[in-house]
Amino acid sequence: MNAPNRYELYVLDEGEAPVEVNEDTKIPNAATIKILKQDHTLGNMLRGQLLSMPQVLFAGYKVPHPLHPHFLLKIQTDGTSPPDVVLSEACNQLIGTLSSLESQFKREFSFKEVDGGAGAGGAAGGAFATSDDPYGTGTSTSGAGAWGNNRDDYLDF
Amino acid sequence: MNTDPILRIREYQRDRVNFVLENVDLAFANSLRRVMMADLPTVAIDLVEIEANTTVLPDEFIAHRLGMIPLVSTNCDVAMRYTRDCNCLENCAFCSIILSLHVTCNDSVTMDVTSHHLELQPHPDQGIEEAGEEQVKRVESFGSPIGKNEAGVDPILICKIRKGQELKLRCIAKKGIAKEHAKWSPCSAVAFEYDPHNKLRHTSYWFETDEKAEWPLGENAREEEPTREDEPFDFNAKPNKFYFDVETDGSLGAQEVVMKGIAELQKKLASLVWALRKVRSGENDMDMPSGGDQPSGDQATAASNGGWGSGSDSAGWGNPTSGGGGGSTGAWGGGASPSRSGGWGSNPGAGNPGIWSSSSPAAGGWGSPSAQANGWNV
Ligand SMILES: [Zn+2]
Repeated sequence: MNAPNRYELYVLDEGEAPVEVNEDTKIPNAATIKILKQDHTLGNMLRGQLLSMPQVLFAGYKVPHPLHPHFLLKIQTDGTSPPDVVLSEACNQLIGTLSSLESQFKREFSFKEVDGGAGAGGAAGGAFATSDDPYGTGTSTSGAGAWGNNRDDYLDF
Repeated sequence: MNTDPILRIREYQRDRVNFVLENVDLAFANSLRRVMMADLPTVAIDLVEIEANTTVLPDEFIAHRLGMIPLVSTNCDVAMRYTRDCNCLENCAFCSIILSLHVTCNDSVTMDVTSHHLELQPHPDQGIEEAGEEQVKRVESFGSPIGKNEAGVDPILICKIRKGQELKLRCIAKKGIAKEHAKWSPCSAVAFEYDPHNKLRHTSYWFETDEKAEWPLGENAREEEPTREDEPFDFNAKPNKFYFDVETDGSLGAQEVVMKGIAELQKKLASLVWALRKVRSGENDMDMPSGGDQPSGDQATAASNGGWGSGSDSAGWGNPTSGGGGGSTGAWGGGASPSRSGGWGSNPGAGNPGIWSSSSPAAGGWGSPSAQANGWNV
């Protein structure tokens, strides 16, 4: 009855800051960044990207407790730019990689549809053998355009 | 490292896609897998009002089974609101789908009550307010059980009834994600494999007499060169090629799952960039402890709670190529910190003896004197 709502694990409270940057006092060019309401999905990916950047001396992340919905990301740079700036840069690089992947998926999916791959695959899929819209569920009114159009809304700031 | 990923779709069907992803690191591939399974919204039955149930199954049992039935959720991210974001009190046409079911058995043979008996009902509020932008984006069958009105599709069994038994109920389906309950996951399975020959030794195989005979190679092994007998172990090698097989439950198509998964990851990253920018410009520094006046003691204790995850439970997240750790016997060494039990899993200064481990936070804590003495390039 008094259990907290499950969505509080992944939705920010009203007015809650999504990120806190704590500069390290004893280590130069280092910061511990607390990212709220996010988990390994974001944490591990960022850590991996940061380690590939030449200006990063150290990057690691941890989820301090599985019931606390945040992770900590610790970054030390070589001093050419501060940790939070390097983190932004890492995010932007990942967004670029994902965009490249996205366009490749778009191309590959359109090839497969031309081949009739999706339609022919109905034998194993069974449940979706009759229609041939790309999402395979029901009669899509707007088709690929639907997500294609709103896709960039959140990137537009 | 900034080379583009390489993608090849091996097989594509409506509800499944099999692809090979190359030139990305394990963390990236794993994040894509995680986001497709747990972060994409779908519609699922969440509340059930039971009017009559004289079947052999108790109410809760049936309510649970109803929740697991995949409902058509195409474009759910834009076609529906979460009730928590809605301005209604309990449910409304914007954030809820109503389904009803009424079956009685009058025959002397056992009868199946299935997902095909669920009927989509217009929400009672429908028409009071004009249809919002959400409803316009819905497909015709949005919210109905998958495969309904499609020829040759087997329905999902809810329960069996005999003569004289009745089941009458009303369901309210809501939008949600799998982090709240697995019934909202669009994926029934996501297969994920790398290094089929186990060249990287991220796993070890249990066997009785003959490892090779007892662990036959899978399909994906054909994509990579097998290990030669005389091949030395390359301890610097990192996984680079990942085999995915995304299978959905039909609520979303395989293509939508992949594309929305990528978009969701970008959204997470973009919001972080946005938040960091706000922090930089000091917009929300009211609850932002500014660095510099914080004692580091709390951080040292935090370190004892558990190691910094190295992400995947396979080891080998070291980054020996960057080699920037000050070239010393400094802290943060990955060597002494097995990635599961703790310790910073990354290792910029390769080959350090590594005093950083979760067992000695005081000695090896962040910014502790010993850490500095151990060669942080201050
Ligand atoms: Zn509502």
